[in-house]
Amino acid sequence: MDAVLYVQGLCKQYPGFALNDVGFSLAPKRIMGLIGKNGAGKSTTLKSILNMVSMDKGSVKVFQKDFSRHEKECKQRIGIVFGGIDFYPLKKLSTITAVTKKFYTDWNQEQYQKYVQRFGLDEGKKFKELSNGMKVKYLLALALSHHAELLILDEPTSGLDPVSRDELLHIFRQIVKNENCSILFSTHITSDLDKCADDITYIQNGCVLKSADKDSFLRSFEHLKTPEDTGLLTLEQIMLRTERSEWDDEAAV
Amino acid sequence: MMRLLYKEIRLAAHPNSIVFAFLGCLVLVPAYPYSVIFMFGCLAPYITFLNARETNDAWYTAILPVTKCESVLGKCLLIVFIQLFQLLFSIPFVFLRNALNIANNPVGLDATPAWYGFGLIVYAVFDLVFLSTFYKSGYKAGKAFIVAAIPLVVLMIVIEVVAHIPSLAWLDSFQVKYLQIQLPILVAGIVCYGLLLGLAYRISVKHFDKVDL
Repeated sequence: MDAVLYVQGLCKQYPGFALNDVGFSLAPKRIMGLIGKNGAGKSTTLKSILNMVSMDKGSVKVFQKDFSRHEKECKQRIGIVFGGIDFYPLKKLSTITAVTKKFYTDWNQEQYQKYVQRFGLDEGKKFKELSNGMKVKYLLALALSHHAELLILDEPTSGLDPVSRDELLHIFRQIVKNENCSILFSTHITSDLDKCADDITYIQNGCVLKSADKDSFLRSFEHLKTPEDTGLLTLEQIMLRTERSEWDDEAAV
Repeated sequence: MMRLLYKEIRLAAHPNSIVFAFLGCLVLVPAYPYSVIFMFGCLAPYITFLNARETNDAWYTAILPVTKCESVLGKCLLIVFIQLFQLLFSIPFVFLRNALNIANNPVGLDATPAWYGFGLIVYAVFDLVFLSTFYKSGYKAGKAFIVAAIPLVVLMIVIEVVAHIPSLAWLDSFQVKYLQIQLPILVAGIVCYGLLLGLAYRISVKHFDKVDL
């Protein structure tokens, strides 16, 4: 099946950091986790995909269309959530929603109300009055109320308590199961992905180390196993051992 | 376009900038440097851009189905809306002032058609410098205002001074024969405003396209 998101050869040079030839694809109705330690380039990758950062080289296709040329059209079908950013802290949720819905041709007010009730959101509250978990839920409610076929989420679970995180992950699974939707979400909390991801893309120092379905991904890191490990390594073990071996290399130098 | 303006007014505009838009009524004050009204019209974009920065407006706009180019357009529309509303809102007060037979403003230029023309030129120059400077970074509103305030202050001084030059007294007059010769200045102001705002928009889009959020 055609990929809903296809990223190829994405390069972006910053002083002291670079994204190099980042590429991966996301199939319909799949959840892809974008992992990597802090500063690895996860957010820069997402921002480059969304044209928030101008890339030096590369191409992004969303729903088989060149994103830079069909940005508005593609964004109508994408839901975007950036965790940890406060938008209009003094505005009521009802005001933000009233504006947001005007931009979507396929806005579904019933669906929105359903999510507002499900997430226990009070639209009379100001954005700053919400807890971190509720902020993500509100942004998710907006993202899910215009029949988004692709959700791009940047660290949506960071700063959330385990209960809220578990609830969100459950919601992600339900969305993919019940609606025609794929999810790409970046996180450094790998245990979240153990629970819900179908595919994993691992970014290290601005390069894609590996991008595959979860099983293949876990198997491809078997060389990191020690005699004490019986089963497959977890994502956390893979990340820790990969980054640690890098520290060891640096220490040796 | 209306959606963008609606979004700017409801989410990005600082409440004071809307208050400043109503300060066109200051032309009713008997003795007042009316060019200060233009300063309020220039402060409005400044505080709105500050407010937008602090509320992550650019980020929010970026997640909507809106391009970077339209993000700039929204801000330009808001500025034009505030400044033109302010000037249009002042017109009934000019008539009221004349109906009340309030004496000519002793401080500087009265709100004559020439004053409106000069006002549009002030706004055009300020907006061109402010917008094109701001969008180089996408967040340095203070720097943009300081740079744009230089031509603003110079033009404000010129406007206040011309009323005191005897040979230019016709600029300060409401007599019909003088109103007619003031009209070209008003037309020049309208043309200048349209052209420079268009230029400001184009330069800002070019700059903002290179800005990484």
